[in-house]
Amino acid sequence: MSDHQEHRVVYVSHPASGLARSNFPLECHVEGSRIVRSLPFYIPEDVRLYEIKTSRGVFTRPRKEVQMPLAFAAKRRVHSATRVKYPLLRDDWSPDNPNAEQRGKSGYSRISWEQALDVIVGQLNRIHEKYGSMEPVLVQADGHGHSGYMQSLHFWGHYLFDMIREHLGWGWWTQQVRNPDSWEGYYWGAKHVWGFDDTLGEPYQDAVWDDVLEHAEMVIFSGNDPEATGFGMSGSIALEMPKWLKRAGIKVVAISPDLNHAAAVHADKWIPIKPNSDGALYLAVAHTWIVEGSYDKEYVRTHTVGFEEFRRHAMGEDGGVAKTPAWAEKITGVPAHTIRALAREWAAKKTTLSVYFGGPKIRGTLSHVAARLEAYVLAMQGIGRPGRQFLRTGAPSFYKKSLAQVPRYPEVDHHGIALNPMIEYAIGHGPKSPVFIPRTLAAEAIQCPSIEWRGTTASLAKTEDQFNHYRFPPNDGHPGIRMVWNENGSQPGSWGHGWNWLEALANPRIEFVVGVHPWLENDIPFSDLILPAQTNYEHEDLVTVQRSDVLAMFYQDQAIEPVGESKSDYEIHRMIGQRLGLDDVFPPAEQWLKAAYGGTLASTKHGTTWEEFKEKKHFVYDCPTWDEWVEIKKEHGFGPNEGGLHWFWSAGDGLETPSGKIEFVSSRIAELDPDNTERPPLARWVPHGELRDSPKGREYPLSVMSNHPRFRFHVQGDDVDWIREIAKVRGPDGYMYEPCWIHPTDSDVRGIADGDIIMVHNERGALLVGAVVTERIIPGALSIDHGAKIDLAMLNNTLIDRGGCINLIAPTPQEKYGAGAEIAIPEMNVSGFLAQAAKIDVSDIVASTGLGHGATVPG
Amino acid sequence: MDKKTFLIDVDKCSGCRLCMIVCKDEHVGSGYSPWTKPQPDTGQFWIDVHSLERGRIPRVRMSYLPVLCQHCENAPCVKACAEAAIKTRSDGLVWIDPAPCTGCGLCQTACPYDVIYMNGDLKIAQKCTGCAHRVDEGALPRCAEVCPHDVIVFGDVENGKTLKVYHPEYQTGPRVYWKGLPKPWIAGTVIDALSDEVISGVAITSVDLFEDASVTVLSDEFGDFWIRGMEKDRKYRVEIRKEGYQDFLSIVTTDGDQDVGTVGLKRTP
Repeated sequence: MSDHQEHRVVYVSHPASGLARSNFPLECHVEGSRIVRSLPFYIPEDVRLYEIKTSRGVFTRPRKEVQMPLAFAAKRRVHSATRVKYPLLRDDWSPDNPNAEQRGKSGYSRISWEQALDVIVGQLNRIHEKYGSMEPVLVQADGHGHSGYMQSLHFWGHYLFDMIREHLGWGWWTQQVRNPDSWEGYYWGAKHVWGFDDTLGEPYQDAVWDDVLEHAEMVIFSGNDPEATGFGMSGSIALEMPKWLKRAGIKVVAISPDLNHAAAVHADKWIPIKPNSDGALYLAVAHTWIVEGSYDKEYVRTHTVGFEEFRRHAMGEDGGVAKTPAWAEKITGVPAHTIRALAREWAAKKTTLSVYFGGPKIRGTLSHVAARLEAYVLAMQGIGRPGRQFLRTGAPSFYKKSLAQVPRYPEVDHHGIALNPMIEYAIGHGPKSPVFIPRTLAAEAIQCPSIEWRGTTASLAKTEDQFNHYRFPPNDGHPGIRMVWNENGSQPGSWGHGWNWLEALANPRIEFVVGVHPWLENDIPFSDLILPAQTNYEHEDLVTVQRSDVLAMFYQDQAIEPVGESKSDYEIHRMIGQRLGLDDVFPPAEQWLKAAYGGTLASTKHGTTWEEFKEKKHFVYDCPTWDEWVEIKKEHGFGPNEGGLHWFWSAGDGLETPSGKIEFVSSRIAELDPDNTERPPLARWVPHGELRDSPKGREYPLSVMSNHPRFRFHVQGDDVDWIREIAKVRGPDGYMYEPCWIHPTDSDVRGIADGDIIMVHNERGALLVGAVVTERIIPGALSIDHGAKIDLAMLNNTLIDRGGCINLIAPTPQEKYGAGAEIAIPEMNVSGFLAQAAKIDVSDIVASTGLGHGATVPG
Repeated sequence: MDKKTFLIDVDKCSGCRLCMIVCKDEHVGSGYSPWTKPQPDTGQFWIDVHSLERGRIPRVRMSYLPVLCQHCENAPCVKACAEAAIKTRSDGLVWIDPAPCTGCGLCQTACPYDVIYMNGDLKIAQKCTGCAHRVDEGALPRCAEVCPHDVIVFGDVENGKTLKVYHPEYQTGPRVYWKGLPKPWIAGTVIDALSDEVISGVAITSVDLFEDASVTVLSDEFGDFWIRGMEKDRKYRVEIRKEGYQDFLSIVTTDGDQDVGTVGLKRTP
C-alpha cells in the first residue's frame, strides 16, 4: 500500500464481459507491466443511488461493487502456460495437404504476422476462386469467451465477411447463429404461452422490485443461483437482491436437484427434484389447485384461453391419468405431501417465481415442457397481481417493456451507454446472411450430408419463426462448410456433445481452420492457423456497464504491454481487412470508440468531452429519486408500488400471442404444427429418452445436471491456479479434477468415496471427475458444472477428458430425431441427461496428449 | 493503543471465497517490509473458508467459517518460536518477522488453529499479518474490505468478554471474535402417516436430559421443524405431541446436526 501513489489505476473489463456488455470493472493498480492488485470499484459519493420505498422498508444498493473471484484472479491468465504469444501454424498443414485428421494432435510453429496474413488471404482467395463465394466459410463468433466492448469482442469475423460481401462482392458467408442458450425452455416453450419475444420468453421486469418488495410473501427460486450465475453476470447487485427478500420478510423456497450456492444460505426450504422433471411438479401443483378450487378462476376466465382443455388434461379427463401429486412423486422424487404443501402455500401466499436465467431445468431435454407448464401455473395464480410476479435476481437491462427493474431514468436506459452494433450478429433478430446454421447444429452441419431444422434460433426472432423450415447446405450441389473461423474457443465446453464438434473440426472436408484466441485451449488446438489475441489488460477500450442495476461507462486504459506479438481481436480483423483493401470500414479503434462515446448522454447531455472522459476514466449515471421514479412510472401506467406484469393483470390483454392473452392451448402451434407430439398445442408431460425409466436408463441410470459454475465463467478460469485451488478436487495423483456431486446412496453402491476419481460416461464418451459425496444433490443425479477445461488423455486405451468437461457428453438436438430427419426443435441440451459413474484407478491414466494444462506453447 | 480485532459473523457468510482470492491478490508476488515476504503462488491460505455441510436431504444448509490467524493475546506460536521471530504489534496484530525466522516449523506445530504455512523456497513461516501494511495507512485488511456480506468486520471493538471466540478451550486469547458459530440442530418433517399430509403447527420439544431445560418449536407450512442452537454432545429427548395423534419420542445425541427424518404421526385409536 505504501507504493499506492506510484501505481497507475486502470479500469479493466470483467472477464465475464461478453457481447459488448459488462459488469462494473475492477480498479487495477499497475506498476510497470505488472498488475499489482485489483480492488472493488466504489460508486462515487456524488452519484445518486436509487431507493425503493415500501411499507417494509427502504431498499438500495452499496457503493462498493465487487465481482466474482475469477475477476480478481483474471490477471493470472495473462501469462498462463497456454498463452499464445505469436501466430502459430500447424506443422503438418499445407494449402495442398491440410492433413485434417491430424488436427488436435500435431504441433505448431511460430510464424510472422506477414506470413500469417499471407496464409489467411491466400485461403480466402482460394475459397473464393474454387467455390465462387464465401459460403463455405463457417464463422463462429458469438461470445462466451474472454470478451470486451470492442477490442476483445468476438463478433468481428461476421463483420469482416459482411464487409467482404459488401465491398468485394464475394457473396455471403455461413453465419453461425447463437441460439437462446441460457433461456432455451422459455424461448422454445413459454413464448407460445405468453409471448415476450424481445426478452426470450421471460416476462418483462419493469419496476418489478417495487411490487415484489411491497407485496410478495414467498419467492420460489426455480434453480435460481444468484450466488453463482447472478454474481458472475451482474456483480454485487445479484448478491444484494436475496438480502432484500430476507429483509422484507419474504420466505424463499428453492426447487432444484441441487442445493445450489444461493439456496444453501438463503433458502428457508429446499425441495430437491429430479433433473428436468419440473414439468410434472407443476402439473401436480395445478391438479391440487383444481381439486381444492384454490386458483384464480376469474383471472383464468378473463386473461387466458384454453384453460378447460388443460383442466381436463390435469384431471385425467382426456383419457390420460390424473396428474396427482402421487403421480408426480414417482417422476420428480418430491413426496406427494410436499407437493400439496407447496401448492397450498403458493395459493395462500402472494408468491413470485424467481430465476436468473432459468436454472438447470431450462437447458435440458424438452425444457420447453417445464417452461410452458411453469407459465401455466403462474397464470393460474394470476401473474401480474401484486406480489405474484416473475422475478430475475439480477438486472440485465433488456428485460423490460419500457422501464428498468430498479429506479433508473429511461433516457439513461436508451442513450446512457454506448451499444456496439456488432451485437446484432450474435444476439439478434435473425441472421444477416441467408446462409446460416444454429450453433446447436454446428457439428452436424459439417458431419452430415445435409440437415434440416425449424427456426433460425436467433435470440430475438419472433415466435412464428420457430415454424419456418431451414436447411444446410442451402441447396444441392453446395460445397457445404470447407473452412472454419473460430473466434470463440468455447464450443465444446459450452454447448452439447462437444466430442462431436472436436471430431467435426478434424473432418477431411474442412480444408482450413483459423483460431483467433489468447490461449491454446479447448477447441483452439484443432486450428491450422492460430492468431494470438490479447486479453483485456493489453489494450484500450470502453467498458459499458449494462448488466448491473446502475449504468456506467469506463475508459479502459492499456494496463500492460501486449504479451508477445498478440493483437486485439479488432486489430487482427482490421489487419486482414486492410490486406483486402477494406481500410475504410476498419477505422482505427480510437476513432470507433470516440464516435461510440459521442452518442451517449455523458457527452450529449452532460457535456463531458471524450478527452475529459479519458482523463476521468468513468461516468456513472445518477438514479432518479423515489419521487421522480414515481412520476416516471405514472407516465408508463404504473402506480408507486406496481411493477412487473401489473399492466397485464389490469388490462387482461396485450401480450404478443395471437389472442393477446395467456394461451394454455397455443393457437399458433394449433395452426402451424398441430401434430407435433413433443410440443403439442397443449403442453403436457412428455417422457423422453434421457429419463431414468427410459430403456437407456438401464445402462446409464444417473441423471446429470449442470449449472453455470461459481468459480469459472463458462469455459474461463480453469487455467488460473488460484481458481483451481478453491474449486477443484485434488486427486491422489495431485491432479486437480473437476468436482462431481453425488449422493451417498449412489456413491455407496458404486464403492465411491469422497475424493475418489470417477469416470462419468455414456454412449457419447467419457470424462474424469473428482467425487464430492454430498447431501446437496438428490439421489439418482450427478451435478457437474459446465465448461471445465478440456484435457484429453487415455484411460485403458480409451480417449477420455481428464479435465471433466461435461458438455462433451451432453446430447445434441439431432439425436431425438435421427439422421436425415427434420429437427423440429433444435434446442440445446446441456443438463438433465443420462450417464453412469464408476471409480477408476488414476495409475491407469496415460496423461495429456498435449492439449491440457501442461501444454507448452511454442514460440 | 486500541487493539485491532476482527469480528466474523458466520450467519452472513455465503462462501463466495472473495476473501481468499483477494488475500492472494495482495500477497502473492508482493512483499511488505517488514511485515511479510511474498506469499507463494499457491498452497497458502492466510484466510481459508471452511465449509460445513449440515443436515440430511432435504433439510440441508451450508455454514462457512472464514478462518484466519486469530491474532491471539497468548499466542502459542510466539511462545514456541526459539528465535523470538513472532511478535505482537502495539495494536495487537501478530506477525512473523521474516528476518530472524529460520523456517523451523515449531510455530506451525504449536498453532491450534492451523493457520501458519511454511514457505520452502524462502525458508520461513508465513501467515496472515492482518494486512498490517494497509492498517498502518488507515486502510482495511483486504478480506474485510472486499467482503460483500459484511461477514468480516475489522476495527477496534475491544469487548472480548461478551463476544465468543472460536475454540475457547485453546485458551489463547484470540482477538478474532465470532457471531453465529454453528451449534447443532435437530430437524425433521412431521406428516400424518395415514393421509400423507404434512402437519404444520405441531409442537416439537427437545428436552436436555442432563439439565432441566427444554426448547419448543412449531413445524412450518411444509411440516418441517428446526430446533437450532442445541449444545454439542448432549442427549436430548425429542417429543412430538399433537392431540389426536400418538406421541412420538426419540433420544438423540448431538454429536453433530441431527435429523429425525420424516416422522409419520399415527392417529390415536
